[in-house]
Amino acid sequence: MIELKDLNKKYGNLLAVNNLNLIVPKGEIFGFIGPNGAGKTTTINMIGGILAPTSGDVMICGINMEAHPEKAKSKIGFIPERPYLFEKLTGMEFLKFIADLYDVDEDLFFEKSQEKLEMFSLFDWSDKLIESYSHGMKQRLVMAAALVHDPEVIIVDEPMVGLDPLAIKMVKNLFQRLAKEGITIFMSTHTLKVADDICDRIGIIHKGSLIATGTAEDLKRDVDAIDADLEQIFIRLTEE
Amino acid sequence: MKDIITLLQPRFYSFKNKGFSESNRGGLFKLLLFGTIGTLFWGGLFAVSLRVLGYFKEIAELGDILAYKLLSMALVTIFFLLIFSSVLTSLSKLYLSRDLSLVHSMPVSSYKIFIARWIESTIDSSWMVILYAIPVFISYGIVYQSGPFYYGNVVITLIFLSIIASGISAVPVIIAVNIFSASRIRGILIFFGLCFFLVLFFVFRLLRPERLVDPEVFSTALVYLKALKTPAPVYLPSTWAFDSMKAVLNGHIAEGLFHSALSLSFAGVTVLMVIIIADAIYFKGLSKTRTAQVRLIKYNASGRLFLGFLSRPVRAFTLKEVRIFFRDQTQWSQLFLIAALVVIYIYNFNVLPLEKAPIKIVYLQNLLSFLNMGLAGFVLTAVTARFAYPAVSSEREAFWIVKSVPIPLRKYLWIKFFIYFVPLLILTEILIIATNIMLKVTPFMMALSIINIFFLVPGVVSMGIGFGAAYPDFKSENPAQAVTSFGGLLFMMVCAGYIGIVIVIEAGPVYNLFMAGIKGRVLNAFEWIWIIGSFTIALIINIIAIVLPMKFGENRLSKLN
Repeated sequence: MIELKDLNKKYGNLLAVNNLNLIVPKGEIFGFIGPNGAGKTTTINMIGGILAPTSGDVMICGINMEAHPEKAKSKIGFIPERPYLFEKLTGMEFLKFIADLYDVDEDLFFEKSQEKLEMFSLFDWSDKLIESYSHGMKQRLVMAAALVHDPEVIIVDEPMVGLDPLAIKMVKNLFQRLAKEGITIFMSTHTLKVADDICDRIGIIHKGSLIATGTAEDLKRDVDAIDADLEQIFIRLTEE
Repeated sequence: MKDIITLLQPRFYSFKNKGFSESNRGGLFKLLLFGTIGTLFWGGLFAVSLRVLGYFKEIAELGDILAYKLLSMALVTIFFLLIFSSVLTSLSKLYLSRDLSLVHSMPVSSYKIFIARWIESTIDSSWMVILYAIPVFISYGIVYQSGPFYYGNVVITLIFLSIIASGISAVPVIIAVNIFSASRIRGILIFFGLCFFLVLFFVFRLLRPERLVDPEVFSTALVYLKALKTPAPVYLPSTWAFDSMKAVLNGHIAEGLFHSALSLSFAGVTVLMVIIIADAIYFKGLSKTRTAQVRLIKYNASGRLFLGFLSRPVRAFTLKEVRIFFRDQTQWSQLFLIAALVVIYIYNFNVLPLEKAPIKIVYLQNLLSFLNMGLAGFVLTAVTARFAYPAVSSEREAFWIVKSVPIPLRKYLWIKFFIYFVPLLILTEILIIATNIMLKVTPFMMALSIINIFFLVPGVVSMGIGFGAAYPDFKSENPAQAVTSFGGLLFMMVCAGYIGIVIVIEAGPVYNLFMAGIKGRVLNAFEWIWIIGSFTIALIINIIAIVLPMKFGENRLSKLN
């Protein structure tokens, strides 16, 4: 599970994330939505241990990210918004690299990597350099790499960007299956339909502050618009 | 024409806004430092040219022949430098720039985009060559007491020469890109360009021009004089520039104008020819470069055979680093360059005329060996600046992977350290041992050099990795250029200071030990304290140089947003 306690992040004078408090329990898919520049990616990067918070704590499965970053990170499968990778490695070499860093059982690596590559329709490309992959293929490879060490928490920033409809459907089903297996998923997205379809709870961040959390139904009640869809709720909550 | 000017505007604005950029850290410092170095170099060139030409002028008849031969050679060299520079610049500007997709999506003809890019390429590839050629031509003007017309003529002649070189270079590039992919061509061109340069350098070095000032080989001067009078090929554009400058220097302005007009007309024809060819095939070639590359060499070694003794994260990072390094074709030419550098370095020691020196050979050999430690240290700094300093920046935007995996930054940086430490230690020890063997130094100096280098290399590599981590540039198109940034300059200055201090601290005790050995004298207690004290201080400096930069790099990198 993920716990954020009084989380703040300042870039100079700009308060990018303002006193964020949140608990995402085990097996939940939490959708994190908000306008551009609201602080989604900053929050995601702090949860993933990529960015140090100015103050506050990030707890992953009860482990404090600041105190034990390696231990906390070993529980996470991190999927960034833009899939920048080591372009001169092949897909398989990249997976091996990640598996070595996460100490995945060497005897099981081939089987696992093959399974993930097939799952993301990349097996035929496993021997090709990543620089020859399309954006969507790189995104799928990052997802395969994030799952290769069987993480307990998945942190994912804009998972559907660059994916084709088939891949989107596959990823949605995959996330739902993983959540059922007890994996916690923290997902930021602009695709409100995706959030509406698969997230157990949704949090709306605006100007660095979490302004609403709950199920889609809770949010509708919050804005007194029972018939509204998520897009209308989002606009109503975030418009100036 | 309006479209072309519009297309050139982003470049102008980027240049103008550079000073206001927040990322332009240490911009003023960098500007001052490079400005001072550049001015000193420019002034040095001017002083040397003026001195040499003044000397030539004093020699009746032969002096003018030598001066004109020098002018002709300078122009041929400038012309070929312009061509080499233009080929690489035009390839990048016309086919590899990241913003090309955006520019080509706009409603502007591709030939106009080509012209705008070609103008940029011509300016970028020629401004520095011209800037550093100017002091030579000013010297000619002063020595031959020419009027303002000469200087004006020099400027326009050099502009025409740059346009011709840029045009001549663009044509084969446009054609070649239609046959091969652009990124592959860049690798090949850099490789062959360096080969060409190194062959020229080797030939020049093997000819040993220093012998020309040796009276013992003076008999060859008559043969040399014959060669001096051989005219340069008449169809070479640099010859027209030479003829024009020579005529104006001699006061024949009309003749000078005729030769400049020849350059102008050829420059015009070249531009026209390039535009016609570009209009026909530029876009076709560009489309071709947008396709993926194919690997030249396929190998899938797991690395367990050679790196099996390492822990898994260390092995993973080492393998990744090695694979990326060898799959990046631009690195191959750098390795080739280092090999050539080693050969030239060692060869120079082989041809040192020690026997002609007025000092006793045994002193000179060992003195050179001691100074050679500093020299090898500076070579090491240059190689470290090229390879180890950009090691962190070379992760580019994939650095998120390093930060998201369960490996501490400290460990990551030490892995990087050892990846570069081992080859750089081998390289520097080869330099030192080979040159010491050639100098026939005493076993004491040999042992001292080997041990000293063994302690200097980790300090220099640590500074490279540490400063590279403290001042990374993950957005650079070419991380190898990161060394010209503020952090890179800081690294080089601190490194030079470190090497200098260690050498100075050891100089006195080493001299004492060496002289005592030669004269069979026993050292007194004070001398022993001095020697042990100095070497202990040097050792402490080495340890600090290893630990502090890594710590500094780790601290700054971990705070990076």
